[in-house]
Amino acid sequence: MSDPKKGDSFPEGVTFGYVPFTADKASINTCGLPTTYDATKEFADKKIVLVSTPGAFTGTCSEKHLPGYIENVSKFKEKGVDKIVVIAYNDAFVMSAWGKAQGVQTDDILFLSDTETNFSKKFNWLKGERTARYAMIIENGKIAYAEKEPAREVTVSSADAVLAAL
Amino acid sequence: MAALKAGDSFPADVSFLYVKPTPETAEITACGMPTKYDASAEFANKKAVIVSVPGAFTPTCQNTHVPGYINKLSELKAKGVDQVVVIAFNDPFVQAAWGKANGIKDESIIFATDNEAAFSKTLGWTLGPRTARYAIVVDNGKVTYAEKEAGGDVGVSGVDAVLAAL
Repeated sequence: MSDPKKGDSFPEGVTFGYVPFTADKASINTCGLPTTYDATKEFADKKIVLVSTPGAFTGTCSEKHLPGYIENVSKFKEKGVDKIVVIAYNDAFVMSAWGKAQGVQTDDILFLSDTETNFSKKFNWLKGERTARYAMIIENGKIAYAEKEPAREVTVSSADAVLAAL
Repeated sequence: MAALKAGDSFPADVSFLYVKPTPETAEITACGMPTKYDASAEFANKKAVIVSVPGAFTPTCQNTHVPGYINKLSELKAKGVDQVVVIAFNDPFVQAAWGKANGIKDESIIFATDNEAAFSKTLGWTLGPRTARYAIVVDNGKVTYAEKEAGGDVGVSGVDAVLAAL
């Protein structure tokens, strides 16, 4: 088990929990049903930015980390990014609600559950029972960028840092 | 480990975690800090209803279970209930956001965390890692009602059943 680095293949068999956003369940008080998102398969032929946050609805995540990505979606798309995938240890229902609370109504940004932190565990990029704060760029199944925050501030995993690396 | 029943004393040392609602953190994307809610101390001299749900932002809980308590809060108060506490296994940040999503911005209904489902585990009333669906009425330290749902619907743990028992 070691840190992911540029040039590594994205691991096999990675899935996340997912409640897709649909127009008829747009309100935060309505809930869709969770399904499985096959990340390994989906990332095999796309350019993906994966952002891990320690928790839905928590301070830094909602106020400082996430907004950078939401505001700059078009810049990411200009650099060829197909999807931004936000993960946390929270279940898929909570992730779906968090996405709605942030005003995200498209599937340019997906809010998924790293169920039982199974993916983040592979690198030991955890914070207690939660996933740590990190960002990855995955291009057609290969890791092009993988940086974990050394401290509490949002630096190497911020939207600006990732845009600079794209 | 034994389920509670009418006539039992409410256990000592029961605490939950919650984020106190404040005007500054009224927005769903603003987060406060979690603090301890000493349920045993709080319930010693009040009439309280604990409503346990399997998860924040999940379908039955959101559509059927919690709204009942919100809509009939005045009826509960008319029967002498001082406090309604909704608990789930979700962390306090998520519970706080869920309360706000349901339009609750004060302590009329407290949305709290049964941390690691510890309290629910003492009753044997869990659903995997989640707390099961149940309702308990505590009157000045004595349990006067404690019922867990046998199936998937909201019956004995719903507001109507609790109102009938008050």
